[in-house]
Amino acid sequence: MKNVKRVLLEALLVAALGLAFALGANALSPRGLRLNRNYFPTAAGARNSALPPAKPAQDERGQTTNAPAVANSTGALSAALRRLQEHGLQPMGSNEVVQLFRDPGYEQGLVVFVDARDDAHYQAGHIPGAWQFNHYRAENYLDSVLPICLNAQQAVVYCTGGECEDSEFAAIMLRDAGVPREKLFVYAGGITEWTGNKLPVETGARLSGQLLNPKP
Amino acid sequence: MTSIEPSPHPWRVRDVLAVFARCLLGTAFLYMGLNKALHPVEFLKLVRQYEVLQHPLLLNGVAATLPWFEMFCGVLIVLGVAVRGAAAMLLAMLVPFTWVVLLRALAMHEAGGMPFCAIKFDCGCGAGEVLICRKLAENMLLAALSTWLMFRRDHRLALRDRLL
Repeated sequence: MKNVKRVLLEALLVAALGLAFALGANALSPRGLRLNRNYFPTAAGARNSALPPAKPAQDERGQTTNAPAVANSTGALSAALRRLQEHGLQPMGSNEVVQLFRDPGYEQGLVVFVDARDDAHYQAGHIPGAWQFNHYRAENYLDSVLPICLNAQQAVVYCTGGECEDSEFAAIMLRDAGVPREKLFVYAGGITEWTGNKLPVETGARLSGQLLNPKP
Repeated sequence: MTSIEPSPHPWRVRDVLAVFARCLLGTAFLYMGLNKALHPVEFLKLVRQYEVLQHPLLLNGVAATLPWFEMFCGVLIVLGVAVRGAAAMLLAMLVPFTWVVLLRALAMHEAGGMPFCAIKFDCGCGAGEVLICRKLAENMLLAALSTWLMFRRDHRLALRDRLL
């Protein structure tokens, strides 16, 4: 019994020292997390949406552009569309995204694409001209991306697609930072659907000129 | 007791096995902790998927500290410092973690209808996607080693195996 008590006391000592070490290491690490920050902002504003429940986007012929994507996938994409609706975010389908990409307004900055993934994924391939906004490191990106989105007429946020929720969190953060919700769209199919449609992909930094699939 | 000093009795097979167990357990936790500490955001997302912790402070706290804590305990075990206490902490982490992994795997099994041992997912263990049966076996082995080390009276090649 005495032995067990000693083990437990030693375990408590290890726990206290280990916790202090872990907190210090996290604070000193450049990759450390901020303890008091909500990295998954979903609830705020979700129920108070001024917009009607989000509907699947339609193209110029009135066809539902999300429908093929939903049919192709799967539960992951339809779950994403349901979440967007719950959070008062507007989904954008594949056809509409492609139209915006080819819109003259894209080159004028009236249409903006925002990539919500991390550095490694962004560098590996993003929609040409897309701005990176990794909301987990918002302090590194918000100052540059926010004015771009505020000046744009439409901002389309995307991530990997499927079960990836980062585009939703990034869109909510942009909305909370002041971007009007009417301007914000989430491309739920994400880069997976984009590349699957053989559309151009830019590698490296933004406007690096390194394109894959340059002629869709 | 500092086992670097001459020991009162010669090496036995169990002493060798205990040193081997410490190296295995310690390096396993060092490796898994390091993988998580290098990718804390990925680990944070995986912890969230278990839907056990809801409050951001708790969620961030676990994701931010657990990897470093695992590494801390791993180093203690390998060096032979407070071995029993560190082993007890490893056991205290392994048991609830294995339980939530099992629950999640069972939920996936029920939802997907696939054979239990064919279920594969990234459990947040620091080793990427793993087959659930393999993960459970690994965790049980690590838990058994932790329990054994926790109740051993003395350890060879240890800097300071007992603090108390």
